[in-house]
Amino acid sequence: MRTRSGVLRVGAAFLAAAAILAGAAGGLLGTCGPFTDTANDVFCPFVLEVFYLGITTGTTSTTYDPTANVTRLQMAAFLSRTVDRVLLRGSKRAALDQFWTKGAVGNTTVGPSPVGIKSDGTDVWVADATDGIVRRVRGSDLTVLDTWTGAANARGVVCGAGKVLVSSATSPGRLYFIDPLGPPGGVTTVASNLGNIARGLAFDGNVVWTANNGSVSIVTPLNTNPWTVTTVTTGFSTVAGPEFDGTNIWVTNVDLGTLLKLDSTGGILLTVTVGNGPGFPLFDGTNLWVPTNGPLVVVRPGTGAILATLTGNGLGNGLAAAFDGQRIMVTSVDTTFVSLWKAADLTPLGSFDLGAIPNRLCSDGTNFWISMNALGQVMRF
Amino acid sequence: MVASARRQRARASLLAGVAILAGAAGGLFGLCGPFTDVAADVFCPFVLEIFYLGITTGTTATTYDPTGNVTRLQMAAFLSRTVDGVLKRGSRRAALDQFWTTQNASVLGVTTVGNSPGLLSSDGADIWVPDTTDGTVSRVRASDGKLLETWTGAPNAWGVLSAMGRIFVDSSSSGAGALYRIDPSQPAGAVTTLATNLGNGAAGIAFDGARIWIGNSIGGTGVSIVTPGATPPWTVTTVTTGFGEPLGTIYDGSNIWVTDRSQNRLFKLDPSGAILQTVTVGLNPGYPVFDGTNIWVPNFQESSVSVVRASTGNVLATLTGNGLTGPPLATFDGQRVLVTSVVGNRVSLWKAADLTPISFVSTGLDTSPWGACSDGIHFWIALDSGPPGQLVRF
Repeated sequence: MRTRSGVLRVGAAFLAAAAILAGAAGGLLGTCGPFTDTANDVFCPFVLEVFYLGITTGTTSTTYDPTANVTRLQMAAFLSRTVDRVLLRGSKRAALDQFWTKGAVGNTTVGPSPVGIKSDGTDVWVADATDGIVRRVRGSDLTVLDTWTGAANARGVVCGAGKVLVSSATSPGRLYFIDPLGPPGGVTTVASNLGNIARGLAFDGNVVWTANNGSVSIVTPLNTNPWTVTTVTTGFSTVAGPEFDGTNIWVTNVDLGTLLKLDSTGGILLTVTVGNGPGFPLFDGTNLWVPTNGPLVVVRPGTGAILATLTGNGLGNGLAAAFDGQRIMVTSVDTTFVSLWKAADLTPLGSFDLGAIPNRLCSDGTNFWISMNALGQVMRF
Repeated sequence: MVASARRQRARASLLAGVAILAGAAGGLFGLCGPFTDVAADVFCPFVLEIFYLGITTGTTATTYDPTGNVTRLQMAAFLSRTVDGVLKRGSRRAALDQFWTTQNASVLGVTTVGNSPGLLSSDGADIWVPDTTDGTVSRVRASDGKLLETWTGAPNAWGVLSAMGRIFVDSSSSGAGALYRIDPSQPAGAVTTLATNLGNGAAGIAFDGARIWIGNSIGGTGVSIVTPGATPPWTVTTVTTGFGEPLGTIYDGSNIWVTDRSQNRLFKLDPSGAILQTVTVGLNPGYPVFDGTNIWVPNFQESSVSVVRASTGNVLATLTGNGLTGPPLATFDGQRVLVTSVVGNRVSLWKAADLTPISFVSTGLDTSPWGACSDGIHFWIALDSGPPGQLVRF
């Protein structure tokens, strides 16, 4: 072994005894870890695990009271801590030793007006509203890897089935297709008869949905162009979204201040009044988060019940939101701040000034990525 | 007779077809899965989920005792199994069908890199490897271990950090330390020098979301706090009060912690670098890691690991054995903590949730495993056995 001068003191001072290869934990004086009232039996490892994880602290520093029943109130505390610990440890950020939560941490220049942005898990795809280019940015180092051209008035982006789809705010709207395996070049137009101004899109595992002015369009992928488009207008005004919750598509009616749950044909199943000017809704695995011109509204999809209306914490006139597995980030159209929330309990985590008005955003599981429309940049947070 | 048998086979085949189309689980004969005492009502799916996940086994093979109370002891078992099951299923290793734990040195993936690799860091896609003797920093693709790039001009490169979309490397010379930066989006070349006025023996490096913290391990030169600026040089504030030989630095989401090898302490710092809390750990503590709840501090000179609760500073356990022999560094992959043993030429694995030993594996004679990191799928370990140096995927 070579000596690492200046790093660890090694050599003569090294006192390592013969290795104890079995493995042991010392320093705790109870019968089960620190607990004197818990037997060192088959249950002890479970008790120690929830203690080491911080899910329980014991009834005192040396007792656990193993035979006592658990009230529903105590159970709520245990389950809440369990969820938090699992999400924190299970995140990609934990494995990368990235526990920080504040500050933008890099940006890269893309086109003149980046808008739609979505991660494919490795790279981030950015649609530009002005130059008709869709750019592929490497998630690890912000390098612009590829540029795809011919996507006039590009707006929303979705990654699904290994492909990238981009909606267009033309009238009628268009849908562009990119195969990331192919060499970069021109996008393929797979539909040019969407509703007008298709500003957002989503994939439900079967068909592609776009949210348009006065309609939603349902696009069925085919092996040949053009793809089949069905446009539904009943009940829709200016539509934002869409968002898929694993069962249903949701959109917002911007002019009417409502959140709409749709059936598979585009019929409206449920209407939730969320307030003035709702933006792009977001699903976090349990709840829908709807930015509005007032509060940030959290809705339970199963019932349409409004769980909370959140205010403050840097919220302005909300535009869009993204979820990284633990946290929700929200952008607004009238403030340079982004607003960060803990998704599990809806508590604020702080607001952060990006220095310019942000636009849409996404997460790759490690970082949030934000389109900085006015700066011509994407920002990694 | 033949016709009857055919009719029976046809009926069986038809029923099987119906079952396939409708979705069904066979072999369970209770009202709710295997449980005869649980109604097939709105609660049944929840009971079945925790049964299928192995969180509960029922009170017998056919009963669940749905109205029974849960003791705190039973609750601990349920919660513990819940944590384990979710972390295992939710890991990237599970999605990639990689449930194995490397068993021996012959199956380590090896990349030759530099002469004497130092600490390691993953940016999520690639592994960054500073070299202490040739002044290079290597970029290795995690998916296949290919050496992608070599950056130059970083003498005594030791600690490495992936943050702000950039790679930061400190210089661990006996004199004033330096901080270098790499822009990974640019073609490989010379590193950019950001500061040359760190303390002596710059070692561990951490980011708190705004500033970079470096432990200076020589000469009582304390901890350096580097504030990013628009152009180099970046502002360096060095705090010495209370420090002996600070070494490993980590950020727990709220505070910076630093080990002090000469005082056998772990210090919790406030934003100005003042010591908020002092925790006594083992002899000659090295480079710790935070697992989301606890801090794991390898104690080089006594071959142990102190596990410290970050929220309180309490030492939860002191781990020994499991192959620990001169451990300098710990790292975490979301489920497991890996500790390198530079004297024992092996690495030790521990289950982070309950601090139990998993195994230890030899990295080979005179391989001196030092730096390590995780990319969320694999551990990566620097072997100081060269030249040439080696990076292995575990």
